[in-house]
Amino acid sequence: MSQVKLSLQNALLTLEQLQQTPSREDGITEEQEDHLRQLGCHLIQHAGILLKLPQVAMATGQILFQRFFYQASLRKFAVRDISMGSVFLAAKVEECPIRFLDLVNVFDHLIKKFHRQPLDPMPAYQQTFYTLKDATVVAEMQILKKLSFNVHVQTPYAIMINYLKVLELMDHPIIPQLAWSYLNDGLRTSIYICYQPPTIACSVIWLAAMKENVALPTSPAWWEVLDAKLEDIENIAGHITSLYHRPLPISTLPLTIEQVEPYLRGELNKNASNGSPAAAATASLPSTSIKGTRVSRFS
Amino acid sequence: MERYQSLEKIGEGTYATVFKGKNRSNGDAVALKEIRLDSEEGAPSTAIREISLMKELRHPNIVRLHDVIHTENKLTLVFEYMDQDLKKYMDQHGNRGALGPIVIKAFMYQLLKGVAFCHDNRVLHRDLKPQNLLINRKGELKLGDFGLARAFGIPVNTFSNEVVTLWYRAPDVLLGSKTYSTSIDIWSAGCIMAEMYLGKPLFAGSNNQDELLKIFKVMGTPTEETWPGVTKLSEYRKDFPYYPPKPLSTVVPMIDTFGMDLLMQMLIYQPQRRITAKDALNHVYFNDIRGYANLQQQQQQQQAAAAAAQVQMGGGGGVPNGQMMGQPSQQQQAVPLSSNTAPPQQIVYQQQQPQQPMAPQHPPLPYQVVQMQQQQIMQQQQQQQQQQQPQHQMPPQSYSQQQQPMHQQY
Ligand SMILES: Nc1ncnc2c1ncn2[C@@H]1O[C@H](COP(=O)(O)OP(=O)(O)OP(=O)(O)O)[C@@H](O)[C@H]1O
Ligand SMILES: [Mg+2]
Repeated sequence: MSQVKLSLQNALLTLEQLQQTPSREDGITEEQEDHLRQLGCHLIQHAGILLKLPQVAMATGQILFQRFFYQASLRKFAVRDISMGSVFLAAKVEECPIRFLDLVNVFDHLIKKFHRQPLDPMPAYQQTFYTLKDATVVAEMQILKKLSFNVHVQTPYAIMINYLKVLELMDHPIIPQLAWSYLNDGLRTSIYICYQPPTIACSVIWLAAMKENVALPTSPAWWEVLDAKLEDIENIAGHITSLYHRPLPISTLPLTIEQVEPYLRGELNKNASNGSPAAAATASLPSTSIKGTRVSRFS
Repeated sequence: MERYQSLEKIGEGTYATVFKGKNRSNGDAVALKEIRLDSEEGAPSTAIREISLMKELRHPNIVRLHDVIHTENKLTLVFEYMDQDLKKYMDQHGNRGALGPIVIKAFMYQLLKGVAFCHDNRVLHRDLKPQNLLINRKGELKLGDFGLARAFGIPVNTFSNEVVTLWYRAPDVLLGSKTYSTSIDIWSAGCIMAEMYLGKPLFAGSNNQDELLKIFKVMGTPTEETWPGVTKLSEYRKDFPYYPPKPLSTVVPMIDTFGMDLLMQMLIYQPQRRITAKDALNHVYFNDIRGYANLQQQQQQQQAAAAAAQVQMGGGGGVPNGQMMGQPSQQQQAVPLSSNTAPPQQIVYQQQQPQQPMAPQHPPLPYQVVQMQQQQIMQQQQQQQQQQQPQHQMPPQSYSQQQQPMHQQY
């Protein structure tokens, strides 16, 4: 079994582990890996919204997905399968289990969207259904094994709400929503692998307050009272904001294992976007809201 | 499965079969819990919870998970082997299922130790019942079956309320509360404690409604006065039949005063007022067990200090360990343990008083209980002989108290 240290607290990785991922060792570039990780998280977040899962389940799913690819290579495991397995597993861990049929339908729908295919619903007992269902079962067990069943994930949502209350920001018209969206978008970065939830909660509040020009107590600095270091806060905020400068070329990315090699050779784009507009679809962020209703332009 | 040899079947659960097994490399006995993998639901949530939590929870009162083996269509969980579960133990060793007070106390102490450790680690067991408490030959009790357990964060999430076997289920859960927390495990522990004294379940309801009525008949139908907020719970009915509360001591008459006080604090309606596992362990009911544990700790500290001192002095010709340990028997002085003379209300709040252990062997393990009882009989016989001797040989009064059985009600 894998070497991840087991703990009910979120396991944190060292900088070295972060840079020497199995995918990197497998010849995948940093940018490619970043894109594929973002793609998986994007799928999980949007599938969760369509499945009406609570945000905590989507967060758990994305963190499981991220953790998995510190134990396995993107060359060997498909983004589609692992993101489906992550949603399926996260729903169990968070006690809001979902049916295969719903999961498979939602993923089928999202994938067709990414590839600009017609959106006719998938007949329930089509071959696709069984393919995706089997892939999910296998992926779920792979995730459990690679993570040594370390599937407990602590998320910062509740902590952030508490901090907002302490800082008397709950009634601000924008900050709570904005900070919440930063938490969601941050799932696509490595911050949840490198920092504990309270630090992340401080950082998104810091970022949202800065964006809204709201001054918070400085003597003593509010984050010190909450036991966070400014250095970490800035680092996390940097990871989140950098996302908005890196649009995700969704329709050019591989979802299945068959698409990975062509993608790495730079050939997938031509096949996948065949007949679709030249400009690839890109993800827009922040994409979610506290109510969890707004699905971005892909649905 | 080459590493483990599967022997006879020892248990059958709802989603798993348990076999006795043997570790081929060292011959150790193990319990193999085989979970069928179903292609309709993938890995069972129960297995995911059980494995992910039990790998983390390492404690003498929690069954150790050694290994997980995945084969094509099943997951095998390899646990340390325990001789039987508490249900079977009660059936076999008990007097019509009821256990003796010393054994009960030793088991309750270990049960609460395990629960306190879970709660300290933000884990709720949610399915405490005699079948899920495992016992070995050494008299150790450990929590098993974490299939319904879950980790909780702050604030506690709303969980599905389909947990905890009916008979041990807390009234707040039965009434539809979804914001329950550690207090639900305490209710279950209270039910188990009563069951060990009674030899049968305290509240053996046949369905949700019946379970509530069984509880109401003893504890009284809750009202806003006895349980503020109860009428707001989703399963609360205005037309619940009204029952007045009965003294718990009439339902479980064989418990001593301290045990009753602890039981009553575990079976409080309002979840937030129920005693915590940690406080329960500090309850005066456990004074004698704790006294022994403290004594052991003291001795270890003394020993460590002496060893350290020796190192400083250059070591060398030290005293053998056994002699440095001091003589426990000399430190043990007679303390009236559960004499009925003091009113219970006062005694419960005397916890800070220096405690001195009475029984030389605590926590007493079931096989020791027999020895202890024999000793007591012998001591009583000696006493009787001594009483026939001239007066000046009478032992001091406190000494005679020490010789009495721990629980005089028996
Ligand atoms: N480590 C062990 N050593 C000895 N016996 C065990 C061990 N673990 C389990 N058993 C026996 O097997 C029975 C079933 O085990 P367990 O409770 O873990 O399974 P389960 O499928 O979760 O049961 P259920 O769902 O009915 O509560 C126990 O009641 C006990 O008698
Ligand atoms: Mg069981």
